[in-house]
Amino acid sequence: MVDFLQNIVDGVMVGSGYALLGLGFTLIFGVMRRLNLSYGPSVMVGIFVGTWFHLRGAGLLAVIAATLAGTVLANVYVDRLCFWAVRQRSAITAVVSSFVIWMQLEEAVILVFPDRTYPFPRLTALEPIELGPIFFRAEYVTMFACVALLLAGVWLLVYRTRFGLALRAVAQDPVAARYMGIPLDWIGLGVAVMAALIGGLAGLLIAGTDQLVIPKFGLWATYKGLIAMMLGGMGSIPGAVCGGLLLGVAEIQFVWYLGAQFRDLAAYFLLFTFLVLRPGGLLGQAIVRRELAAFRRI
Amino acid sequence: MDFYIGLLQIFGIHTLLGLSAYLLILTGQVSMAQAGFFAIGAYMAGICTAMWGWHIVPALALGGLLSGVLALLIGFPALRVKGMMLVIATLAFSEVVRLFFFNFNYTVLRDGIPIGPIGAEGFRRIRYFPENGWTTIEVSLFMGLIVLLVGGALWWADRSRLGAVVRAVGEDELAAQSVGINLTTIKVAAMTLGGVIAGIGGGLYAHMTTHVEHLNFGILLATFAIAYPILGGMGSVFGTLAAVVFVQGFLVEGLRFLGDWRNLLFGLLIMLAMNVRIKQLGDVRLRNLLRGLFGLRRRSHAGA
Repeated sequence: MVDFLQNIVDGVMVGSGYALLGLGFTLIFGVMRRLNLSYGPSVMVGIFVGTWFHLRGAGLLAVIAATLAGTVLANVYVDRLCFWAVRQRSAITAVVSSFVIWMQLEEAVILVFPDRTYPFPRLTALEPIELGPIFFRAEYVTMFACVALLLAGVWLLVYRTRFGLALRAVAQDPVAARYMGIPLDWIGLGVAVMAALIGGLAGLLIAGTDQLVIPKFGLWATYKGLIAMMLGGMGSIPGAVCGGLLLGVAEIQFVWYLGAQFRDLAAYFLLFTFLVLRPGGLLGQAIVRRELAAFRRI
Repeated sequence: MDFYIGLLQIFGIHTLLGLSAYLLILTGQVSMAQAGFFAIGAYMAGICTAMWGWHIVPALALGGLLSGVLALLIGFPALRVKGMMLVIATLAFSEVVRLFFFNFNYTVLRDGIPIGPIGAEGFRRIRYFPENGWTTIEVSLFMGLIVLLVGGALWWADRSRLGAVVRAVGEDELAAQSVGINLTTIKVAAMTLGGVIAGIGGGLYAHMTTHVEHLNFGILLATFAIAYPILGGMGSVFGTLAAVVFVQGFLVEGLRFLGDWRNLLFGLLIMLAMNVRIKQLGDVRLRNLLRGLFGLRRRSHAGA
């Protein structure tokens, strides 16, 4: 029983990283109606920029700033190339485009960083906290706290500012939003930057916990974020968070009871079952049905 | 010379992969599961020839059949999801298959050497062609025959009433349903047949390279599979063929002189090609060119 509880605690902590990635995905999907498969790789580019500064002896703050800046630049590049240039065209082509850019980002990083792994600075040097029989790793607690703060920030931004109002208007009906004088291009760019900042923070926290970075991180992050978003429901902010936490808990439970090789299998199995049995996700809206026509165009 | 023959073989295998996705896209299903079916076909056909000592034809058939059965099983739940959700669900399926082979161990001793899929190491020594003295020309002709059969059958079916039915489902499900087309049958049949074609392609791939491992069948292969028909346009099977030649011949092999920089350009070029769309090349111009070459009469075709 203690094992089970400990797994749930660990799962929630690990899942909070997934929740951040899922949040970035869901923002892009909710507003732009596009899946950005290069979202994870652009986070990877960001943390490699951070590592570049770290290897040259920069302080922690500089590394954090560099990571966020790198992620934003990479994600804006993907957004302008795959979504702005192809916005009025079909959804599937844009998605496949965003995926092939993954290859480009990964190759660019491998050209600059030819080794297998690179170090990443530790973010906190706290001791693990012990509450009764349950352990809390300090890095995970930091991650969880950051996620909670960030969620509050995103909620305020989306529901309490003019930008958030415009964002929700575009998400509901892009054509009507344009008639109201909302510049769609700028909203798209704003969402790309916002998602990149969230993703950059997720990348920082995850790489800081592992204290190493690899080029494969990009695809990994895309998978985790995508699954978190799909479990929770596409385009739903609380859904992405629930999905991420659920994914984390499920993974840790599977690893504990069945073995480490079941981690990814569990994730994909969960995803497939959810998609087939409840395509809208946990807290999904009817977006999917409404946007069906757009997704059928090739 | 061997290089060009090898390139032709790659064209053949990727054409099979592209055609399996083409068939599904005709019915309006964009599926990333083709990489999974391809992997199942590759491993199954490899097991048949290298471990059980079968002839290549029944081995390919069994590989295709197994993929087809799995595709049939996937086809029914896949009916519930559409568009982007289907892309992700089928991607999850492909990854499950890949992870299955990552953990899959099954070997037998032949001549004192363990042969068979060994988890992460992959499946080595699928040496049916060299062991039975097939020359590369014979192998290429064999592959060419299979591609011709599959492509020809699809091309012919596309011209028939069946093609019109399939395209109707892809264009507008509601309209198709209201004229009495059974959507379930058409979509599941397309998924199954796509699985069979991808499985046969996978079997050929395993025998061409003699070594397969789980990394060969990732999301990249799945993306290629749907990129070919999208790039070539949905007008006819020739579009897919043209896209395969363009991607594998020009982008992958033709740009090799660029060295490390090729991969940087590669993604960008596929993206550009897909958005500038050589649809006309695949649909109208190429078809008219081929018609002209073979002296067939031109006629307007509203299918595209």
